[in-house]
Amino acid sequence: MSEAATASTRIWDPAIRLFHWLLVGFVGFSWWTGEQHDMEWHRYSGYAILALLVFRLFWGFTGPRTARFGQFVKGPGAVSAYAKTLGSKSAHAADGHNPLGGWSVIAMLGALLVMVVAGLFAIDVDGFDGGPLSDYITFDQGRAFAEFHETVFNVILTLVALHIVAIAFYAVWKRQRLVPAMITGKRKLEAGETAQDLRWSPVLALIGLAIGVAIAWAASTGFRF
Amino acid sequence: MTRSKIAALTALGLAAAAMAGGATLAVAAPSASTTIATRKANFKKMGAAMKALKGELSGTPDKAKVLEAAKTIAATGRVQGQLFPAGTGPSSGVETDALPAIWTNRAAFDADMTKLVTEADKLVAAANTGNAAAMQAQFKAVGGTCGSCHKQFRADD
Repeated sequence: MSEAATASTRIWDPAIRLFHWLLVGFVGFSWWTGEQHDMEWHRYSGYAILALLVFRLFWGFTGPRTARFGQFVKGPGAVSAYAKTLGSKSAHAADGHNPLGGWSVIAMLGALLVMVVAGLFAIDVDGFDGGPLSDYITFDQGRAFAEFHETVFNVILTLVALHIVAIAFYAVWKRQRLVPAMITGKRKLEAGETAQDLRWSPVLALIGLAIGVAIAWAASTGFRF
Repeated sequence: MTRSKIAALTALGLAAAAMAGGATLAVAAPSASTTIATRKANFKKMGAAMKALKGELSGTPDKAKVLEAAKTIAATGRVQGQLFPAGTGPSSGVETDALPAIWTNRAAFDADMTKLVTEADKLVAAANTGNAAAMQAQFKAVGGTCGSCHKQFRADD
């Protein structure tokens, strides 16, 4: 660390921070209710995650620069170039997801989306409790979705573990603390840096949230209106 | 009757006797794997019937379909209790989610099986009335017997 920097720059907007921590909470809650076979709360938790994911996809096109897929989803060249600098003690210069972390985000969002969709179709072993879309398929198909739902959870656990290991690696090796930035939305400026703007629209955030809630609600009814 | 005809009939008779003997043997002492496969198929049949009920009761139920599924559960449930003879647990080497508790706590297991049949019979009765609320309530009661028995006697996968 260089001399104490006084100024800070904004990296993460409030909507994405809220998204992140709500997602952490609901994934944990889904895990717990799933283990307890509390399918009623498990379903509600899944709908909340679906709404959050839809919001995040929307925000990936309408949010501020660090939230946009176009900004952080990079080709293999950039990814391998970045991977080669991992051993270096210097921190990543640009704000937001780095080229490797960007794909980690895509993998987590993708796995969670697959997880939620599989859950919507899943039926329990008793044929008694299941997702709202299980009525459209057979018992055997619903059981296959339920088993797939369990398998994907292991993929999510692996990705989350990788995410935490990466954060620990940055903290220990690169002396860069990523968690406080996801809480406060800010990081301290290095010497000679100028603060960058982070433009985002609360109206667009609310629109994204409304779309997410509407889709999750529609799915929860099994698209029966 | 020609000699060859007699020979042919004798052969046929022997074959029939052998088949009958085999069948008798299968009834008398079915292998653990046969018993386990049968009860698994039965549970799947009941699961599919439960799912059909769930589908019917999430909208306006078709009385005939509810009745059919309820009868399937009641009839299959009656057979199920007899498909857990000693030696058909996990120690049989055949893949099964049946827990050893079934055999160490047999009275409780049998009581659960009886409860399933009782509740399923009530569901048949509810389906006969055609009252959707009664069917829904009794469907939940039947589902509850699945869950409570599985909690104690079925391996959680």
